Amino acid sequence: MKEKTQVSDIDRSLYDFRYEEDERDYLGSGITPEIIKEISEEKNDPEWMREFRLKSLEIYNKTPMVDWGPSIEELDVDNIVTYIRQKSRMNTDWNDVPDDIKDTFERLGIPQAERESLAGVGAQYDSELVYHNVRKEVAQSGVVYTDLESAMHDERYADMIKEHFMKLVPPTDHKFAALHGAVWSGGSFVYVPAGVHLDIPLQSYFRLNAKGAGQFEHTLIILEENSYLHFIEGCSAPKYYEAGLHAGCVELFVGKGASLRYSTIENWSKNMYNLNTKRAIVSEGGKIEWVSGSFGSHVSYLYPMSILNGKGARAEFTGITFAGEGQNLDTGAKIVHNAPDTSSYMNTKSISKSGGISTFRSSVTVNEKAVGSKSSVSCESLMLDKISRSDTIPAMDIRTDKCDIGHEAKIGRISDEAVFYLMSRGLSEEEAKAMIVRGFADNVSKELPLEYAVEMNNLIGLEMKGSIG
Amino acid sequence: MSELLRIEDLTAGAADKELLHGVTLSIGTGQTHVLMGPNGAGKSTLGCTLMGSPEYTITGGRIFFEGEDITDEPADKRAKRGIFLSFQNPIEIAGISLSEFLRNALEQITGKRMKLWDFKKKLKAAMELLEMDTAYADRDLNVGFSGGEKKKAEILQLLVLEPKLAILDETDSGLDVDAVKTVSKGIDEYKNRTGGSLLVITHNTKILEALNVDRTHILSAGKIAAEGGAELVDEVISGGFEKYIVGK
Amino acid sequence: MTKLNKLPAPTFGWLGVNFAERKISDNTAEPVSISEGQTVRTDITADARYELTAQENKELTVIMYITGEDKRIDISAKAESGAKLTLVQVFDKGAFTASALSAEIGDSAQLSLVQLYIGGADTVSEIAPVLSGYGSTFKADIGYLLDGDSRLDINLAADHRGRKSTSEINVSGVLADISEKTFKGTIDFKNGASGAKGAEKEDVLLLGEKVRNKSVPLILCAEEDVEGSHGASIGRINDEHIFYMQSRGIPEDKIYELTARSKTDRIIKLIGDEETVSRINKSLGRSDDDE
Repeated sequence: MKEKTQVSDIDRSLYDFRYEEDERDYLGSGITPEIIKEISEEKNDPEWMREFRLKSLEIYNKTPMVDWGPSIEELDVDNIVTYIRQKSRMNTDWNDVPDDIKDTFERLGIPQAERESLAGVGAQYDSELVYHNVRKEVAQSGVVYTDLESAMHDERYADMIKEHFMKLVPPTDHKFAALHGAVWSGGSFVYVPAGVHLDIPLQSYFRLNAKGAGQFEHTLIILEENSYLHFIEGCSAPKYYEAGLHAGCVELFVGKGASLRYSTIENWSKNMYNLNTKRAIVSEGGKIEWVSGSFGSHVSYLYPMSILNGKGARAEFTGITFAGEGQNLDTGAKIVHNAPDTSSYMNTKSISKSGGISTFRSSVTVNEKAVGSKSSVSCESLMLDKISRSDTIPAMDIRTDKCDIGHEAKIGRISDEAVFYLMSRGLSEEEAKAMIVRGFADNVSKELPLEYAVEMNNLIGLEMKGSIG
Repeated sequence: MSELLRIEDLTAGAADKELLHGVTLSIGTGQTHVLMGPNGAGKSTLGCTLMGSPEYTITGGRIFFEGEDITDEPADKRAKRGIFLSFQNPIEIAGISLSEFLRNALEQITGKRMKLWDFKKKLKAAMELLEMDTAYADRDLNVGFSGGEKKKAEILQLLVLEPKLAILDETDSGLDVDAVKTVSKGIDEYKNRTGGSLLVITHNTKILEALNVDRTHILSAGKIAAEGGAELVDEVISGGFEKYIVGK
Repeated sequence: MTKLNKLPAPTFGWLGVNFAERKISDNTAEPVSISEGQTVRTDITADARYELTAQENKELTVIMYITGEDKRIDISAKAESGAKLTLVQVFDKGAFTASALSAEIGDSAQLSLVQLYIGGADTVSEIAPVLSGYGSTFKADIGYLLDGDSRLDINLAADHRGRKSTSEINVSGVLADISEKTFKGTIDFKNGASGAKGAEKEDVLLLGEKVRNKSVPLILCAEEDVEGSHGASIGRINDEHIFYMQSRGIPEDKIYELTARSKTDRIIKLIGDEETVSRINKSLGRSDDDE
């Protein structure tokens, strides 16, 4: 029973659809100050932003590549088109969205999802925001949901953006944060005023489509005191053959007593380098909840960081990573306890199959000030065959005695008994294994809105096809 | 008969939620009291509050033991005065053996270190009475003990520490018939040997069979809903709590 | 400066756990071979080199008591098939010590490592057993009791290559005052090590506002048919524990004392050897029969 796991390639055609590019303008490959200036011009950046971009480029050129984690040697940033101007401009009505783009989104089920339960859709096609709509009642509650470029030019938000933009993730953080600072384009800006509790989730889809295109969207979310928001970020990209790069940046500011849930299902095509940086800072009594599913990309470096900066602030991270053939997914989370009575909870699952490599990497830092803090980390890995790899690399740095830190990890495979039990009830071996893997992933699926949980289960089903030889 | 424990208009709760709303109760030296009530009535809260659990905060009222106000005392001071709580879910403590733990506790309570030989003899006798494998003495406290073994280990501590008042928080729950018999034997032994008082929190009569119940209290929704003698226990067992539930 | 104790799979650089950088000089000692006898006791006070071999189907116990000046200790150990090698190392205070232990464990052989670290200015300890044999076993029981400004950096990596190899790593310790400790423990399942099992546990009691604890428990896995686990628990004693013990009359400071003692008592019990235990107790300021 043991040696049968033979793996065949997975049919991803369902998710890998793409339309031919036509008259879109490319700004050329490679990054020079001229390119940056051109981007800045094109976007009509305010002066400070133009300087910020140029400064970031300098930092980028000076910063060495990371010396740990999966190899990114094959990634040639200079050859990736850093900016593609989308032929269509902002649209406020779904009917005005160009047909090919609309069709792509339609196949992903976005408008339907919107009709059913979503408040607004900010969908990014290549580098520009092409569709944007916030339901009236959301706007009436005072919530701002728009693209970052427009907001930067709106005098109501301009100062707020200048004050927060890349303050949490400075360009000096690492090489790709610097690159992001130089070439960022598109993304979302959300502002939730004090006391506003948004019951319906806001969602945004990002997609990469052009050959060799880079995607550098920036998400900035600010929650004022005692507000609540659920933001859903979904990613999927069609297949193409040059190395693709995603170096987005997410900055979340959670005010006193506020609560933010940030959910992501990432399903980039399997030639993408996903070098995304996500970070949240949480004030007194506030809470950040990350729900993260990583399925796509060739290489991922993804560790959302939570900085618990106010007394009693909390962070929760729930994640799943599924690495299949040709994938090296290095994911996890970072938590910094910076204030008294803060607490964090991390629960992750990872699955390796068909030669895929999944690595769980984390850090929990408890500073001197964080007396009375608690942290609990639990990670579990599943190996589905002998040719894959699964590593667990957690670290804890504790600098106060008045804390309670727990960590546990497990690695193993699907038990033959469980498969036998399910088969004895009439399931095929493939169905049995898929069911066990779905059960293994339920820490994440039960945290997702229903339609996302269904999509994730379909993804797992798809990945598990051909796992029996 | 002198008064051992007096609870005056006690209000207490956990995490901003009041669970006891003015409980008054008194237990005399050598008496056996029974505390019954539906689930969630606050029975365990009362037991833990009497022992000084930091999980619950006292927001009003006083607790007196032998005439002295112990409301603000930590658990170890109360234990030294002679209060004992048999936990509903005893904690597992890795690295410290049952025997080492108990010897230290006894030393703290009596103020003197018993000779190892004498202590071992005392422990062994108590373990035999409770039909416990003496190998448990050298195992880490409650670690890997079954539910029944944990409850026996609680009664074992009761027999060794010989307190003046023992609060038994559902010591009989989750035990099979034989184990209840053994545990009851231990409680009788404590009672006969020391003449101590008992506050028995329970749902059934098995554990009370050999005991002379002096008084029964029914706790419902954080308040004493009814009080009576031993006969009240049988009434509750046959008639249920319905008529004592506040608001009905 | 030399990079010692390199983490087998490096992680975020800013954590400062990828290596321990120290100034070291050459190990000037001549190698000493031990392969005979049942229990061999040896005192180490300066540079030392050892080659330990437990011969086929034989048992060998080596006890090293380590004190004294700045030094390097390099040990290569081998447990031949069916052999049982027990290495006891007591690092008792002393100066800078760079210790490196490499070991090879053969078919059905076992290496038991018992280590106790008491204080010490700065100790860097590398432990690298290779479980190459079928059914080979590695057991590590490590305890530490650090106070003052003691520094300890341990890098243990159990390299599972043999089928049905087993490793069991138990670490417990106490940090007081301004002491600093890094424990890196890796279970590395290589491809082909089917049926292997590895379990690692660390339990750290912190007793000082300014202590610094780093724990980095890795599992690397390139084999499907394995079972690996690790767990760590760091901090003070939890409130429930304290209440339970207090309710039996034990005051809080005594609870901490008892708990702290239990972390090293476990190791002392395992050492067993009376002469060594008596030396440890003397060093800890305890009487031999504390009954």
